[in-house]
Formats: sequence, C-alpha cells, structure tokens
Amino acid sequence: MNEIGGIPLFYLEFGDIVAYFSPFTLALFLLALVFSVFVIVSRPERQIDIAFGADAFFAKDISLAELRFRRFMAIACGLACMGAMVTGDVFDFTLFVSLVGICNVGIVAAVKNHHVQDAAYQYGLVALAGTVPLFSAAAIVVTTTGSLSMLELASPGAPAVPLIARALLVLGVMGEGMAPFYAAKAEMFRAPGAPYVIMCSLSSLLIFLRVTEVVLLL
Amino acid sequence: MIAELLFGTFFGLLLLGIHRKVIARIQRRPGPPVWQEILHMLKFSFKTTWVPATASAALFVGVVLVAIGIWTAALAVVLSGGSLLIVFAVYMLHKIVEHGFGLSSGSPYGKFGGVRSVISAASEIPLFVSVAGIALFTRSLIISDIVAYQEVHGPLLLTVPLAGLAMYLVLLSKMPFGPFSIVESKELVSGYKTEHFGVWRAGLEVCNGLKTYVLLTTFLLVFVGTMPFLFLLVGMLVLVVSLSFVCALCPMLSPYDSVTVQTIIAGLMLAYVSILVVVS
Repeated sequence: MNEIGGIPLFYLEFGDIVAYFSPFTLALFLLALVFSVFVIVSRPERQIDIAFGADAFFAKDISLAELRFRRFMAIACGLACMGAMVTGDVFDFTLFVSLVGICNVGIVAAVKNHHVQDAAYQYGLVALAGTVPLFSAAAIVVTTTGSLSMLELASPGAPAVPLIARALLVLGVMGEGMAPFYAAKAEMFRAPGAPYVIMCSLSSLLIFLRVTEVVLLL
Repeated sequence: MIAELLFGTFFGLLLLGIHRKVIARIQRRPGPPVWQEILHMLKFSFKTTWVPATASAALFVGVVLVAIGIWTAALAVVLSGGSLLIVFAVYMLHKIVEHGFGLSSGSPYGKFGGVRSVISAASEIPLFVSVAGIALFTRSLIISDIVAYQEVHGPLLLTVPLAGLAMYLVLLSKMPFGPFSIVESKELVSGYKTEHFGVWRAGLEVCNGLKTYVLLTTFLLVFVGTMPFLFLLVGMLVLVVSLSFVCALCPMLSPYDSVTVQTIIAGLMLAYVSILVVVS
C-alpha cells in the first residue's frame, strides 16, 4: 500500500522534512495552484437577486475593502492547501490543515451579512474544536512510533500507527475542512464572491482527499 | 491519446443519448434520437458565445477548461492503469466544477444549482466505501494491480458486492434525469449550467461525455476486470440501460429528500465497511 497515489515522481527536501510529488499529490497540488491563480486574476461576480414583493431584481456588489481581505484570505488558503497536498510530514500536514480552517473562516466572515457571519461564527467554533483531534493525532503518532515522516512510517518494518491516531486525524480534517458541516451551511457558499467561496469548498475537498491517502499510507 | 480522447467523448455522449432514449421509451414517449447529445455538443460549438455582464469572467471561462482538463487526466489515468484514488479525486472535484459553473455567472438559477451540488456532498461517501472495500482485498489502489488481482481471484463484484453497489449508486447520482439529479432540476431552468452557452456549453458537453465514459470504464475495470474492448463497450451499454431503468422509474427527489436518502445510504455503507474492516 506504499504507492497508493502512484509511484513518487520526485522528492523536495527541506532539511529533515520531505515533500513528495506522486501523481496523486501532484494532481491535487496543481488543482490548488490553478484555483489560486483564479483567485488572483478573477473579479467577483455580481449576484442577481429577486426583490420580493416587487417586479424587480438587484445586483449585489462587493466593496473594495471586502474584496481585498477575502482575496488575501483565499490566496493564503490556496497556499496552505498546496502545502497540505505535498507534505510528507504528519505534523506539517496538521499545521497546514488548521491554517486552511482559519482561512476558510476568514473568507466567509468578511461578508457583511448577518446570516453569513452567524454561519462563519458557528463554523469557527467547529474548526477550533477540530484542532484538538487533529494535533492529538500527530502527538499520538510521534509518541507511539518516534517519527512523523509519512515516508518512514509507510516503509516496511516501521512501527504500526494506532488506529485511534488515524481516526482522530480524519475527525480533525472533517472539522477543519468543513465537511460535513460546510454542506449544512448554505449561507456560507451562496455568499457573493464566487472565486473566494469556491476556494472554501475546494480546500475542504482537497484536504479530505489527502487525508484519505495519508490514512491509507500510515 | 488524442484518438482515445475523441472516442471517449463521442461514445460517452452516445451513451447519454441512449440513456435519454431508453428513459423516453419506458415512459412511452418517442424520445430524441440516440445521437442527440452529440448534436448538442456540435450545435453549441458554433453558436454565439458570450460572458454575462454580471459574471466573474476568468472563473466563468476557466472552470470549463478545468472541467475538461480533470476528466482528460482521469481518462489518462484509467488507460495507463494508474491510481484509482486519482480517478475518485477527479470525481469529487467535479463538484467544485459544478459549484464554479453555478456561482461564477451571478444568475440565481446557476447559484441554486451550485448550492444544491454542494449540499449533495453525502453522495461522495459511498465512494470511500468502494475504495476501502477494494483496498482491503487487493492491498492496492493501482488499477493495473486491481485488474491483475481479479485475473487470479475472480471479479471483485462477487467478492465485495456491496462495494460494487456503492460505486453503482455513485454512478446513479451523476446520471442526468435520475432521482438525485437535483442540480439540473427544471425549476432551476438548467441548474448550474443555465448561463453557459455557446462554446462554454459545448465544453461542458465534452466534459459530460468524458465523465460518463471514464466512470463506466472504471466501474467495469475495477469490479469485473479486464476484457476485450468490444465487451467493455457492451458492458458500458448494459450499465447505462440499467441506470436508465432506475432513472425512468424513480421520480426526481426534492432536494431535502435527496440529501436525506443519500445520507442514509452513506450511513449504511459506512457500517458495511466497518464490518469489513473488523472481519478482515
């Protein structure tokens, strides 16, 4: 099961921390990169809404200050996502995932709409709670195996990673990546600013896909 | 690769046309000709193309290219016998494409199509059940390894039938006119693709053809094993006809019911894979 994402194409070493690019991690990395570029080059759409009680419609505009803040958060989210996709270190993975959670809250919390802000606040609580199982998983992995390197832990003869550590890792990612809480909060993803909102759902899916590989790898 | 790409696109569109025809005949309607979806794609290729004034232009256009790009990559992975995880990743990322299509235009119809796509997230969970079921038995997620395993041990459809059923439900949730097709429901005009016309819509049709071809090929390779090319095409046809029967006989669920049913199915599937893990 060491090559579930395909044979690694190349390794990028930062001291004892190694990022690896297999066809799977590279594909996810490239998608995060492409959507980050979209965030940089896109202007938000102007959502059309029906005016109830009248034969009219109106377009929602995003102010420049809100646009700048959400764009910054979306780019930070994209960078964190790219890191989470290729890192070969369990602790780095948890750090990047928690950063994704923070950025996701930031992307939606800037919207000047009390329904959206309420949803962002509630999601913020979930993300905050999600960090506990996330970092607990990394702590359990290092204390039981003596290593945080995914490549070392996946090699034959490496100490087995406890099932509880893998379960906590998945639970933490569910909290940070919004799924399934994200899907229950329509206020968050129907907010105006498609390029930024999409970064929320993309990052959620990407870290969910990566944690599947990590859990199978360990 | 170009030849396979073209064949996959046109055959996938033909299967979607057959899907519409079978549904129509079951419902005692004449239905469109089986090549209707191919004609749609060609027609849209030569129609006037525009970007709505309210749209996020770069995303509006870019998401079409992403849609074609990810399914082309998935086809390459399937043909080269690469990692099944990549194909499933592409399947899940298709949701982002639908979300992007819907939100980028600024249209309320597109927006609700995109929103419905996101709230249907439970439809992806059976996919993980398939992955887990396959991984438990084959100890690999490389398609060529899975095919080799089946040559020795027989089709996985007989070994882990419920994992096969999970994958079948995943296919069903992506088929048009099915019980879970709430993203393209008629009260939303065309749902997430309402505002994409002209070349952009032709690109989406290409993506749909490729998606159908890739998903059906993956199902047959992963659960039945390797077979002559002609048998593969016949197998895809049989699968599509069976899906058409389900789509024709089941009414489209309301968004709330669709999500509820998908969540219940996901819960049952997760219980099944938990039992598999404990037993193995």
